[in-house]
Amino acid sequence: MPVLIFAVPAGVAILIFAFGRLHAIFREGLALFGLAATFLISLAISGRVLHGELLIAWGRNLYVDGLSALMETLGSAMAIIIVLYSTRYLTQHQIGMPLNPWRHTYFYGLLVLFVATLNWTCATNSIIWMWVSLEATTLTSALLVTFYWKRESMEAGYKYLLLISVGVTLALLGCVLIYAAAIPLLPGPHVMLLTEIGRIAKRMPESVVLIACAMFVAGFGTKAGLIPFHAWLPDAHAEAPVPVSALLSGVVIKIGAYALARTVTIFAPHYAAVVLFVAILASVSMVIGIVMALVQDDLKRLLAYSSISQIAYVIEGLGLGTYLGIYGGLFHMVNHAIVKALLFLCAGALMYTTGTREISKLGVVAKKMPVTTFCFFVGALAIGGMPPFNCFMSKVTIFFALADRGILWAAIIGIATGILTVACFAWAAFRIFWQKPTAEPNPETEVKRVPVLMQASMLVLAFACILLGIYPRILYPVLNTATDSILRILGAG
Amino acid sequence: MVESIALGDFIVTLYLIHFGFSLLAAELRNLKWSVAAIVVQSLTLSGILITFANIGSNPSLYWWGFATLGTKVFAIPYLLWLYIRRLPTAETRPWLGTIPSVGVMLVLVVVFYNFLHTHVEFIAPSLEAALEPARSNLALSLTICALGLWVLLVRRDAVKAVIGLVLLENGVHLALVTLAPTLPETTLIGIVTNVIITVWLLLYLAGRIFKVLGTTDTAMLSELKH
Repeated sequence: MPVLIFAVPAGVAILIFAFGRLHAIFREGLALFGLAATFLISLAISGRVLHGELLIAWGRNLYVDGLSALMETLGSAMAIIIVLYSTRYLTQHQIGMPLNPWRHTYFYGLLVLFVATLNWTCATNSIIWMWVSLEATTLTSALLVTFYWKRESMEAGYKYLLLISVGVTLALLGCVLIYAAAIPLLPGPHVMLLTEIGRIAKRMPESVVLIACAMFVAGFGTKAGLIPFHAWLPDAHAEAPVPVSALLSGVVIKIGAYALARTVTIFAPHYAAVVLFVAILASVSMVIGIVMALVQDDLKRLLAYSSISQIAYVIEGLGLGTYLGIYGGLFHMVNHAIVKALLFLCAGALMYTTGTREISKLGVVAKKMPVTTFCFFVGALAIGGMPPFNCFMSKVTIFFALADRGILWAAIIGIATGILTVACFAWAAFRIFWQKPTAEPNPETEVKRVPVLMQASMLVLAFACILLGIYPRILYPVLNTATDSILRILGAG
Repeated sequence: MVESIALGDFIVTLYLIHFGFSLLAAELRNLKWSVAAIVVQSLTLSGILITFANIGSNPSLYWWGFATLGTKVFAIPYLLWLYIRRLPTAETRPWLGTIPSVGVMLVLVVVFYNFLHTHVEFIAPSLEAALEPARSNLALSLTICALGLWVLLVRRDAVKAVIGLVLLENGVHLALVTLAPTLPETTLIGIVTNVIITVWLLLYLAGRIFKVLGTTDTAMLSELKH
């Protein structure tokens, strides 16, 4: 099963590339079939993992625990919603160029291939293969960012690929240092295994571990979009097609957080400096991210900057290395994936209908788009951490974890950022849905009705925001197992 | 014994040649010459790996040496060549002129190398890595990484940015073989972490941007900031 979770989507992606040009059923149909199969496999894996089983293969090189199962299920579920949305969004009207079967084949093939690389990243136990698969997620998603082949998307794709490649090469240096430090302490075949490295974390030279952790934070932090390594994020989110933006914020940046959880978190409890370093970086990131979001007129860039702020909560929680911190970080990772995908899909619906993403050109669309208005408000209140929506519980958990660890100042910064987030999104929502446009909208734009499938995708995510806010315990078994899987590696050390 | 010492000296010489050509690849303003410097730099990396395989107990390093020969000495320079043959030979004018750039770079390299060489215990994961010749070799490897980052930060040309990434990666690979030359896993890491696909994709995107903008100046890629 640890092999199937990435082999199935990889195989389906090959089929899409081979036959996608023949008919839509071989693109959209195959993509949906492949992702549904992957989702079912991830559910089966989660079921076994929840019963205390560890799925191991290839001499412990593949190792699926609670955290891997959580990421794989989240990634597959988000990808299904994104494909459903894309079937209606990526029309000739939206792309603005003749419908080309090859372009759609390329889109769906890469999307499914991305899920395969994501699942590979989560299934591997080798620090080096994790690096390789993480770089593979960058390559596939970079091609998705450049989907429109316009100057702006090329520019965004080039920046995305270059900056993340430089970042992850620094992380590779961190991997090399940890690998070399593990050689005297572990037998040859085990030196690359994360579970084994966790066991000997305390016995490694402190200075080497601290430098390696700094490299991991810089490298994987670039992928996660942490400030000051975030330069790629606003451009890539803004210029990619909306479904890809949802994928970037919902899943791609979470891979960076996942890699940090697998590497930095296993060292954090032994070194107070790592916890403090991560807390400072995350606090700076969350404040600057939301301040930058406040001044944006481009809705997609606003959402992108907000992602920088929100991923900082996740990394701050994970960096604490305590049960409560890791639990809160993982909970917020799931919640942010749902909320941000919802907000990007709402932005897509607005663009589909009005042809613009500039907030000053939108306005008074609430009556024309009641479903989008409702979904956007759910997302806006949720991301601000308002009760009874999902992010409320995850943010509160992180604040308690910070206070419990004695980093009260970081909790206060987190709360202040939450208030700014509510203000930012409430102001944006008011301008988009009720205020008269302050700039002249494009008179040639044909106002279109949002297709049912796009509305359904948004409603599913909005419903999830409400459900997880009212009944956060639904996720408790999964999050508890995922948290325990990290703590088990720490405990072994 | 004598042969082993001679090969050890040979490795140190190769490290120094590698370092010298890294400096040339970073500073030469003619893109074709810069790519030629990358070829020699990668050739010395391949030579270092094959020599380590010859003197040590890890024959699998031959595989990495030959893979480096195929990818870094031939494939990556070929991709760079395909791209630059359509462009003006001189790189896009960088932020710093030639003399200040060379001056600043040399100062940075000397300071960085001396700092690392003096405090190598801080980053060396084992006692062997802190002893000569590994001490100097590790300091050189990490200085090459810093050189790659320097190129990425101060040069505006898209090709030079790719060369910066290649320098950074070669520096990491050199550090890897310096720190762990005896394990077969080192070979696996060296081969699977090759950035050839990334380089190809970056050059492809840079080529498309060149078609639209008519320049390889990355400073021109600023439309999205407005």
